[in-house]
Amino acid sequence: MSSWLDYTINGLIVGNVYALVAVGLALIFGVSRLINFAQGSIYLVGAYIGWVAVVQLHTPLPLTIIVVAVAAALVGLVIERFGLRPLQNSVRIAPLLATIGISFVLDQLVMLTFSPNPRALPSQLPDVRFQVGGGTIGPLDLLIAGVGITSALLLFVFLRYSKLGWAVRATAQDRDAAMQMGVDVNRVNQAVFGIAAALGGVSGLLVGMYYNQIDTAMSLQATLKGVVAEVVGGAGNVPGAVIGSLLLGLVESYGVAVFGTSYRNLFAFLLLVVVLVLRPNGLFASARQAPPEPLTGTFIAPSRPVRIPRWALLVAAAAFAILPLFPVSFYVLQTLINAWLLGMLALSLTLVAGTIGQVSLGHAALLAIGAYTSALLSLNFSVPVGLAIIGGGLMSAALGTALISPSFRLRGHYVSIATLAIGEIVSLVILNWESVTRGPIGISGIPPLALFGYDLISATSIYWFSFIVMVVLALLQGRLLGSHLGRSFRAIRDDDIAARAYGLSLNRYKSLAFIFGGFAAGVSGGIAAHLYSYINHETFNTQQSILALTVVILGGLGNVVGAIVGSVALVGLPEVFRIAAEYRILIYGIVLLLLVRFRPQGLLGTM
Amino acid sequence: MSNIDRRTLVKSSLAAMMAGAAFSRTAFAQSSEPILLGVSGPLTGPNAQYGTQWKQGFDLALDEIQAAGGINGRKLAYSFEDSQSDPRQSVAIAQKFVSDPRIVMELGDFSSPASMAASPIYQRGGLVQFGFTNSHPDFTKGGDFMWSTSVSQADEQPLLAAYAVKRLGLKKLAVLHLNTDWGRTSRDYFVKAAKENGAEIAVTEGYIAEERDFRSTLVRVRDANPDGLILISYYSDGALIARQARQVGLKQVICAASSVYSPKFLELGGEAVEDVHVGTRYFPEDPRPEVKKFIAGFKKKYNGQEPDAFNAYSYDAMNMAAAVIRIGGTDRRAIRDAFAKVKDVSSVIFGQATFDVESRRVKGAMNAELVVRKGQFALWDGKPT
Repeated sequence: MSSWLDYTINGLIVGNVYALVAVGLALIFGVSRLINFAQGSIYLVGAYIGWVAVVQLHTPLPLTIIVVAVAAALVGLVIERFGLRPLQNSVRIAPLLATIGISFVLDQLVMLTFSPNPRALPSQLPDVRFQVGGGTIGPLDLLIAGVGITSALLLFVFLRYSKLGWAVRATAQDRDAAMQMGVDVNRVNQAVFGIAAALGGVSGLLVGMYYNQIDTAMSLQATLKGVVAEVVGGAGNVPGAVIGSLLLGLVESYGVAVFGTSYRNLFAFLLLVVVLVLRPNGLFASARQAPPEPLTGTFIAPSRPVRIPRWALLVAAAAFAILPLFPVSFYVLQTLINAWLLGMLALSLTLVAGTIGQVSLGHAALLAIGAYTSALLSLNFSVPVGLAIIGGGLMSAALGTALISPSFRLRGHYVSIATLAIGEIVSLVILNWESVTRGPIGISGIPPLALFGYDLISATSIYWFSFIVMVVLALLQGRLLGSHLGRSFRAIRDDDIAARAYGLSLNRYKSLAFIFGGFAAGVSGGIAAHLYSYINHETFNTQQSILALTVVILGGLGNVVGAIVGSVALVGLPEVFRIAAEYRILIYGIVLLLLVRFRPQGLLGTM
Repeated sequence: MSNIDRRTLVKSSLAAMMAGAAFSRTAFAQSSEPILLGVSGPLTGPNAQYGTQWKQGFDLALDEIQAAGGINGRKLAYSFEDSQSDPRQSVAIAQKFVSDPRIVMELGDFSSPASMAASPIYQRGGLVQFGFTNSHPDFTKGGDFMWSTSVSQADEQPLLAAYAVKRLGLKKLAVLHLNTDWGRTSRDYFVKAAKENGAEIAVTEGYIAEERDFRSTLVRVRDANPDGLILISYYSDGALIARQARQVGLKQVICAASSVYSPKFLELGGEAVEDVHVGTRYFPEDPRPEVKKFIAGFKKKYNGQEPDAFNAYSYDAMNMAAAVIRIGGTDRRAIRDAFAKVKDVSSVIFGQATFDVESRRVKGAMNAELVVRKGQFALWDGKPT
């Protein structure tokens, strides 16, 4: 039984580590209702500034902490001033995307400056260990706990008792009213970003010292775990974030204890989904508290979509259809095949996120379900490839809708977080369900694409196949949007209370959207599986989900043509920038930021 | 904003791609051009560090090849395309290489999903895909254009098992492995070999690559009461596990696979990796001439930095590519056939490398039993730790 004490202590220790990131996220969410995906990047920057201070400048620990806090706060202020403030009057989704772009840029800058090799960040505390239960804890554990709890307490006191704190809370409750009362909203935002960034930087430093290791890949993981902890504790609730983090640490630790290490993150994300479904405002929100999301409309702002004449679309489609007849290299065709496959995913997401307003951050899971279903059907049951792909689409539609249905009652950001978690859960189930998915070994030898007994193996035939499938799906979706169904979808997005008042069943329409979207994404995954011939749990990862969302927002939410244009652009741009080698993702991030800044409603506008 | 923008955007990106293709065709006409290899690997993204290490090994080998007069008077060079270890990008790169007539052979990719997704394109395009870190047992089954010098885990793990069980006398083992295709395959071979040597496997734990906290995993290990820990890890996670094992008070012997062999393991692990045993393919004071040359050359070129396992793989791969091209010339099919003909190519990992034509892999990796002593890798002297 003493082991349980150890698992508990270990859970609290690691929860401690998560708390540092979660508190910063909670603070920002509390004020600007924004999940700051760049928080992990600030944490990364803090760790590397700390490395410079400790290893190059040999600063003592208190000075190191001050240096890191100040430098990270400056980074936070720059992000707020130049990345986010220009977006404050645009759609709510724009700052979210901007933080994703900023995190690309920051991560790449750190990688280019310091090389991607991991570095040791030596702890500057004496190496004494205290025996607790069967293990030991060191002074750094205590320091991290101290920083986490103290900062949460200080923030709590600041928000409750100081004048600027009141201003922060007033801004959080109602931005316009606060402005009318003379609150300088920009100053409030600045203060919040500065404090959150300082905290993020210091947490990167301490966690780096804790593991004696920093590397450029630590940013995304920190954001993911921080977001989970924050939402469990109640988004925007600072003390809640600390408790949510400790709870997350405990759940992970007990998960390892009972089922083994490879199930660890599964429990983290299951916890998140359960909390979201049962207590969408977090564990510590009072039942009567108003939901922190705006009820309607403002998450995705309406805009006038760009009207493209029908003949122009026909000409464009014809041009792409006859492209392989011209002497273009297979590389161009392959790049466009990737664009068409991404296009199908984007069609699916633009329906789900744009038309009915359920912004999904886990869409790669639908690809994975389709891909595995199609691969296994054709390998294990010798189903012809064409049918297997349709099977993949159907399975994705059914399973995807079933998985997401408990989250139908959620709104705005919470849908994104829930889908993010479901995406991770699907990937972890694929990793662990070895008897079916072959676990980490993956599925190899998947037969190539074939139709009616003919193998499609040349780049040209795959090009035509994927192009036609995408066009058919796009036409179907266009037809759907023009029908009464499309109008109902948009009504639910724009005002779900009004829609319900008109007698629309929200769950039924949301299911319909996910069924259609799941099918398109599943077909895309199925084609990809046969194209690659090998897939494993890493083939369809979180980055793909984020990419798909970027495509959809770039093209214009809900806009069918926009989704396809966005896919071509976001598959094409990194290829065009190949010449820039290591710098290409940096350039990509900057282009993304500029697009969000100057055309937040997307290239072709929201439909 | 009108549809003009959409079309110009599409057109400009297409134009840039076609310009690239046209450029490659004109460049091919000159024969004084270097012989070009395509490398598909991660330079950005989560695996970027390994791409950087590849480059170091390639560049060192190329310096030596150039100094020795190149290949029949022509220089050898490579074009490194960043795939981020993402299958979507590696297939595009594959088409790019296949349709670029200057490229005579391809090296990489790093991860199995990225490499094996590109295999069908290389196979159908008739361009050799030389995967020198691809230990996935099915990699070379992709076709007769897939060749690999990655040490087969069927070869490596029995060596590690013999070190742990026979030489160190460990009888009850806990195996911690990276839960990837590599870690999983390795674990299976290790467990089999260890059992054959008479050891008992107390517990095996697979962890994902992003994991940093192993305390709870180590409690499981402690409760299984093993007398040794086996790490099937890369250097960064291996160092983390060793540190946390010592912090939670586990004092058992730790024995790690060759992939932790890196100066970074010592740097990141600090005192915690003292006395960790590592089964490797070469070691710093190795008397073999090819190893001496490699280590001395590497330190000279990179300011005294010690080379690690991935540096050695890429260095060997470039030398192997040169040896193959010396026999096969610049014809893609002849190069494939030349892989079956090269004999006893000097190699850090294998000593003398010759392909097994059946499996298209190299057998008989060298073996060195090291231990960390005073913060350095040293040949194990047979003394218990």
